[in-house]
Amino acid sequence: MNEREALDVAAAAVGLAQAAGASEAEVTVSASRRFHVEARETAIARLEQSTGKALRGRVLIDGRKATLSTSDLTRDGLRAEVERCVTMAAHVEPDPAAGLPETFTAERPPLDLYDEAIAARDSDAKVEDVLALERLVRAADARVTNSSGSHYVDAVTVTAIANSAGFGGAYTTTRASRSTAPVALDGDVRRTAHYGTSARHFDELEALESIARTAAARATEMFGARKPPTAQTAVIFERDVAASMLEDIFAALSAANVATANSWLAGRTNAPVGSDLVTILDDGLLPRRLGSSPFDGEGVPTRRTVAIERGVLRSYLYDTYYARKLGAHTTGNSNGAGIGTNNFYLEPGSGSLEELIAATPRGVLVLDTIGFATEHASGTYSRGARGFWIENGERAYPIDECTIAGSFLDILGAVDAVAGDLRPDAAVVSPSFRVGRMTVSGT
Amino acid sequence: MLDPALVSELISRALRRGGAFADVFCERRRTIAFRLQDGAIHEASVGVTLGVGVRVIAGESAGYAYSDDLSMPALYEAADAAGLVARGAPSGGIAGVAIAAHDGNAPLYDASQGQAGGDRYAELLARADVAARRYDPHVVAVNAHVSDEIQEVWIANSDGLFVHDVRPLVTLGVQVIATHEKERGSGYAGDGGRTSIAYFDATTPEALATDAARIAVVNSTAIPAPAGEMAMIVGAGGGGVLLHEAVGHGLESDFNRRGTSLYSGRVGERVASELVTIYDDGNLACERGSVTVDDEGVPGQHKVLVENGVLRGYMQDRLNAKLMGVAPTGSGRRQSFRFLPQPRMCNTYMPGGESAFDEIVASTQRGIYAKSFAGGQVEISKGDFVFMVGEGYLVENGKIGPAIRNATIVGNGPDAMTKVVAVAGDARLARRHYTCGKGGQYVPVGVGMPSVKISSITVGGTGAGS
Repeated sequence: MNEREALDVAAAAVGLAQAAGASEAEVTVSASRRFHVEARETAIARLEQSTGKALRGRVLIDGRKATLSTSDLTRDGLRAEVERCVTMAAHVEPDPAAGLPETFTAERPPLDLYDEAIAARDSDAKVEDVLALERLVRAADARVTNSSGSHYVDAVTVTAIANSAGFGGAYTTTRASRSTAPVALDGDVRRTAHYGTSARHFDELEALESIARTAAARATEMFGARKPPTAQTAVIFERDVAASMLEDIFAALSAANVATANSWLAGRTNAPVGSDLVTILDDGLLPRRLGSSPFDGEGVPTRRTVAIERGVLRSYLYDTYYARKLGAHTTGNSNGAGIGTNNFYLEPGSGSLEELIAATPRGVLVLDTIGFATEHASGTYSRGARGFWIENGERAYPIDECTIAGSFLDILGAVDAVAGDLRPDAAVVSPSFRVGRMTVSGT
Repeated sequence: MLDPALVSELISRALRRGGAFADVFCERRRTIAFRLQDGAIHEASVGVTLGVGVRVIAGESAGYAYSDDLSMPALYEAADAAGLVARGAPSGGIAGVAIAAHDGNAPLYDASQGQAGGDRYAELLARADVAARRYDPHVVAVNAHVSDEIQEVWIANSDGLFVHDVRPLVTLGVQVIATHEKERGSGYAGDGGRTSIAYFDATTPEALATDAARIAVVNSTAIPAPAGEMAMIVGAGGGGVLLHEAVGHGLESDFNRRGTSLYSGRVGERVASELVTIYDDGNLACERGSVTVDDEGVPGQHKVLVENGVLRGYMQDRLNAKLMGVAPTGSGRRQSFRFLPQPRMCNTYMPGGESAFDEIVASTQRGIYAKSFAGGQVEISKGDFVFMVGEGYLVENGKIGPAIRNATIVGNGPDAMTKVVAVAGDARLARRHYTCGKGGQYVPVGVGMPSVKISSITVGGTGAGS
C-alpha cells in the first residue's frame, strides 16, 4: 500500500463515519512491510516477513468521543465497525475539549526519514548479518558460550492521516535494527546481555563488530558481581539506563498525567525541578531521527519544545485535547491514541563516560536496571540495578542484586555532571549523567 | 471463517520447499472498552483484530508470515513467505494434507452471552467512580476502565488438526489517587476473567473501587520503605507474581532447550525449599490464563512445575517439545495472529501449607509484609528478579506496622525459593487482572499463592538502612 492508497482508505473511512452520523472524524491508516530474521549459532531460528495494515480512528458526535481500531479493511467490515463505534459514542459524556485540532499545515519539512537502501536490501544479506553477529559475539570473548539469538529487523511503513476538517497527509519511513544477546558462562553462573541499535538509514546502522563487542563485554564484565553495601552515594547512569529514566520523566511531562493528578510535575510550571545541568527537549523535526515525523498523530506539525530549561519546568507536552483542558497549545505530541514522544532527550554536556567515572571518588555506575516501579503521582523511582562499585575514580568490582531509589525531584536536583556521549539510536535518548546522592540498597 | 479445504491447500503450499510441520492460525477478535476519568465516561473504543498467520517449522527454524487481508492471493503470499525458511531442496510431491473438522475439547468458558450494550459498561464505571469517592474525602482522582472481548480462533496443522475456540475475556479496573498533606498515593484493583460482563453482578464495581481507594489512602500516608536485607512475608493471592517471575519464566521451554535458563537440564533436582510446590494450570474455570486449547490447538493442562522443592518439568510449546523429545503441555500462546507462538505460563500458583498467617507474622522480628505486588520482572539466565510492592507494610517485633511506600524487592529465584521458611494454609488465586509480557508479546495470565515467609531478601527503599 503506497501513500496515495493509504490516504484513500483513510479518507473513505472518514466518509463512512460522517455517513453514520459523526460530526467530526479522523482516521489514520498505517501499512507496514516488515522483515525479521533471528539466528542462533549457525542456523536461522526464525524468518518472518509480512505485510500488515491497521486502521485507527476517532469519531465525535457533539463532543462525545469514541475510537476504533481494526485490521479488517474490507468495505463491509469497515462500515460495520465505524457504525459500531458511532453507536458506542452515544454513551460517552460530551466533552467540550474533545475534537479535531483547529489548524493544520501543508508544509512538509525535509526530514529524510526514508532510505531506499533499507527498503531494497536483499534478504540474503539480512540473513548474513545475523549469522555474522552470532559468529562475532562468540569470537569477541571465549566465555560467550551461547546466545539467546541475534536479530535483524526492518520495516517500511506508510502512515496516512485524513480528517473531516479536510486534512490529508502521508509519509513513508524506514527503520532497521540489529541486536544480539550473548550468554556467557563462568563456572555455573550464566550471564545474559542484550545490545542493539536502530536507525532510519542503513549507513547509520551500528557496525556488526561494534554491536558484538559491546554485547560480549556487557555479558562478561559482570562476573563475580556481589551486592554492594546499603548506602547513600553518588550514582552514574550510563546512557542507555539514563534513557530509560527519561521515559519516566516524559510520563510526568505528559499533559494527560498532569491533568489527572498522576504527575509529580503537576503545578510546578516555572519552578525548579532539577539542577541547572538538566535541560530536556522534545523535537520532532530532527532529520533522519527515529522520533521525527512531519506531523503528529492528529496531523499537527511537529516542533521543538523545551520542557525543562536549566532545571526549570517550562512546558508540559500536549496533544490538542489536553492542551484545551489545561489552557495551553498542543506541542505536536499526539501519537493518535494519547500523548507520545517525538525525539525526547537530555541535552548533552561534555566528556566521556570514562571521564565521568574518573571524576567520581566513590559511588555506583549503573549499567542495567530491571523493573518498572515508578509511581508517577508521587514521583518515586525504584529499580533493581547492576553495574559497578566505584572507588577512587575506578571500577572497583561489579555489583548486582541491589536497588537504587529516590524521588525524581531529589534525583534531578542532584544531577551534578552530564557527559557528552548522547547517541541518537532511539526516539528517547540521553547522555550518561551523575546524581550526587541516592539510596543504594544491598546488604 | 476458514474451511478445511482452503486450510489444507495453504498448508500444502507452505510446505512446498520442505519443512516438517506447518500450521495456520486464524483469529477474529472483537473488543469493546470504556474509560472513565474526571467523573465522566471519557471514551468508548471498539476494535477488530482479524487475520491469518502461517508457520512452517524446518528443524530448529520457524518461518512465519501473516496477512490481515483474507483474499486468496494474500493468503498464498503468506504461505509462500512462511515456507521460505525451508532452505533445503524442495521436498516435492507433498500430497494434500488431510484435515478434518472435529469437536475438540469441551470449552472451559461460556461465550454464549456475547457482548453487552454500551449502557452496561458506562453504568459499571459510574458506580465505581461514586464508590471510590464516597470511600474517603482524600480521594482526588478516579480512573476506571472496562473491557469486553471475544476472541475466536481457528487452528489447523499438517498433522490433520482443525480446532475452533471462542474465548471471552472481561476486565474491570479502578485506579484511585488519594492525597494526604503533600503526599500522594495510588491504589489499583481489577478483576474479571474468561466470562461475560455478568461477572460484575456478583463481584461489584463498588467492591473493587472501595479496595482501590483503601490502598490509595494507605499509600498516601505510607512511610518510606526501608532499605537493606530483611525478611519478607508475601501476601496470599497477588503474591503469586513472585512464583511467576522468580520461577515460572525460567521453566519455559524455549530458554531451557537453548540452555539459557538457570533451570536448564535440572529436572529432578532440588531447586527450592521442600515447602515449595508450584503448578501451572490451563484448565481453571474463568481464569485469565485458561485455554480450552492453546494457540497451537493443544488442550490446556495441569502441570507440576516444582514438587516439594524438586523441579518436575517445563512448560512446552510444539516447537520446543518436538526438539526436546517430549509432548507439548498446552503452553503455546501468542498475542495475536501477528506473532509466532511462544511457551508461556497459564495460571501459576502454589497450594497451601501447614502454617498460619498469624504465626508467620509473630515469628518475624524485622521485615516487610508485601500484601500485593504491582508487577515484576526477571532476568532468565541468572534468575535475578525485581518486584514492585503495590501494598506493603513494615513488620517489627512480630507485628504488622505502618504502610510503606513504593518498595522494590530484588532477589534471585533459586536463592529466594530456598529461603521459603513457612507456607500458610490460606492459598487462593489472585483477582484476575494480570498480563504477562515476553519478547514483545502480551497475554493474560493468572497467579495465586498462600501467604509465604522468605527469611531474607533485599528491600530497596529510601528509608533508614538496616
